[in-house]
Amino acid sequence: MLLSRLTASVRRLAMVGLAKNTGKTEALAALLRELETEGRLIGVTSVGRDGEEHDVIDARIGKPRVRLPAGALVATTDALLSVSEIPHTVLENTGVRTPLGGVLIARLREPGTIEVAGPSGAEDVRAVSDAMLGHGAEQVLIDGAIDRRAASAPSVTDGLVMSTGAVLGSELEEVVARTRDAVDVVRLRELDDARVRALAELSAHGAGQSRSASVLVGAGYDALELAPRFVLSGDGREIEAALGSLPDARWLIVHGALPEGFVNDVLRARRAATGQLTLVVADSTRVFLSERGPAWYRAQGIEIRTLAPTRLEALTVNPVAPQSHRFDSMSLRAALGEAIADVPIFDVLDPDYGAGREREPAASLARELAD
Amino acid sequence: MPREIDLAAVKPYADHLGDGLVQMSFTLPVPYSLAARKAALELAAKMGFEEPEVVHYEQLTEGYTYFVMYGVCSQTIDFTALEGEGFNIEYMTEEEIERFAQAHVGRKIIVVGASTGSDTHSVGIDAMLNLKGYHGHHGLEGYRSFATYNLGSQVPNSTLLAKAIEVDADAILVSQTVTQQNLHVQNLTELVEMVEAEGRRREMILACGGPRVSNELAKELGFDAGFSKGTYPHHLATFIVRELAARVAARG
Repeated sequence: MLLSRLTASVRRLAMVGLAKNTGKTEALAALLRELETEGRLIGVTSVGRDGEEHDVIDARIGKPRVRLPAGALVATTDALLSVSEIPHTVLENTGVRTPLGGVLIARLREPGTIEVAGPSGAEDVRAVSDAMLGHGAEQVLIDGAIDRRAASAPSVTDGLVMSTGAVLGSELEEVVARTRDAVDVVRLRELDDARVRALAELSAHGAGQSRSASVLVGAGYDALELAPRFVLSGDGREIEAALGSLPDARWLIVHGALPEGFVNDVLRARRAATGQLTLVVADSTRVFLSERGPAWYRAQGIEIRTLAPTRLEALTVNPVAPQSHRFDSMSLRAALGEAIADVPIFDVLDPDYGAGREREPAASLARELAD
Repeated sequence: MPREIDLAAVKPYADHLGDGLVQMSFTLPVPYSLAARKAALELAAKMGFEEPEVVHYEQLTEGYTYFVMYGVCSQTIDFTALEGEGFNIEYMTEEEIERFAQAHVGRKIIVVGASTGSDTHSVGIDAMLNLKGYHGHHGLEGYRSFATYNLGSQVPNSTLLAKAIEVDADAILVSQTVTQQNLHVQNLTELVEMVEAEGRRREMILACGGPRVSNELAKELGFDAGFSKGTYPHHLATFIVRELAARVAARG
């Protein structure tokens, strides 16, 4: 299976890395080669920069160039279009400003390598993606930057390819554990209680300071609106007081960001509590966990559910940490395959890639290693 | 008659245009000796300098040698390609900023700043925001058209964002010492992601500053602008008033 085949039905596809140098741009480059072979008309944008020659932080690290076929649509800055020297037709000035200049949408008349720098903000990404679809693109690829995930929100894109790699840890187990936690966040289950969902939708439309105020919901669906910015700034005592005023609280609807510090404060405030508390967020991009994964919090009685799920299409791995260490690609994929179910895992630079043996040999190798 | 400067292929010069001559100095952790001199010459050659020449070297301290060298740089830079990339902001003076803000914004511009995460350095933020400023340029606090909140150092992103929402900030300014360790970078991207998660990305101008922060890095991090060494408060203020005016105009 090729990445392009797997993601063929995803109109707006987000590429997200778990850190810098996880091989996200290599995955994009592979996908672009495949789509060119298939003759698909594509649009490309990047929330960061793509196809630059050197890493912006560590210039020793070379980056893959982004080669686009003739006919491709691209959202990038005026200056980067000129520097590419590729003949093109400007279709639209998006009005989006970036630190590198304003963003245009252009159709390339000839193939070539180009640096891509489109809009950064999620709403602008959606608008520019839709504009490219409107100009005839069959599929739009949205490349991420560093570890940014906002463009993978279901309100922005239809599916996601996530990149992980050796750069996440010096031990293979650490890479696997951190990847599994990140996948768990992306695949957080959808809220299935219709009445809580209705309450969430109702409370989302507040205005002014009470805009996106969080709501605590009891077992009998009685709702308690919390102070503005409760989740962002709420300290331990306030949280304890709020939970104390609704002792049978079963859900907490969080409209904005869910920082890990808050989740830990809730955990402390509920030391003596029994039963589960479900934190309800709009989608996985609102969840900021870096110390522990959702499974650990679930075991402590705190479940996180989303109003809209994210479709994880595939994982790609980069077994090399630049200027540092490397793992055996197959062992890494095998270990990831053992820990993470139901998602295809690719190393687009491995000779195996595209031979139709991505996951199976990984699994059998894992069995061999276990014997 | 002076030679014509080719802006598409600029290179350093010392005596005459295009000679590529560079003077450099560095220290090697080796004892002062002829072998040390040879090492410096080979190193300069490895750096790509043609005709490297040691014009001065001396013992810095036991086991260390200091060099001054010349070398010919054969590389060139296409300056014409850079000019169009948004680097050429013309900065306004403080008085011009005040007048521009009054004409295009018409109210106080609210800026919240902090050094975030584990970063203990607040020098950059203080220089930009505090009345005292630095090098005789006072910070945004001293501008009539700005209201500023400096939260100090080691501020969690969630706390900074909560304050920004509370005071309805137009801009958030963070300073961070970016190193090759992922930690600092992740701290900056987390702020951007949290602003997105709160649904306020289009309402808030995000600027970051630090010794290694460029516009390229700012773009990757998801900020609207990046400021590095050599930035004065009126540079930052120019960017904020222009960007805010553009957003006000776009909203109609």
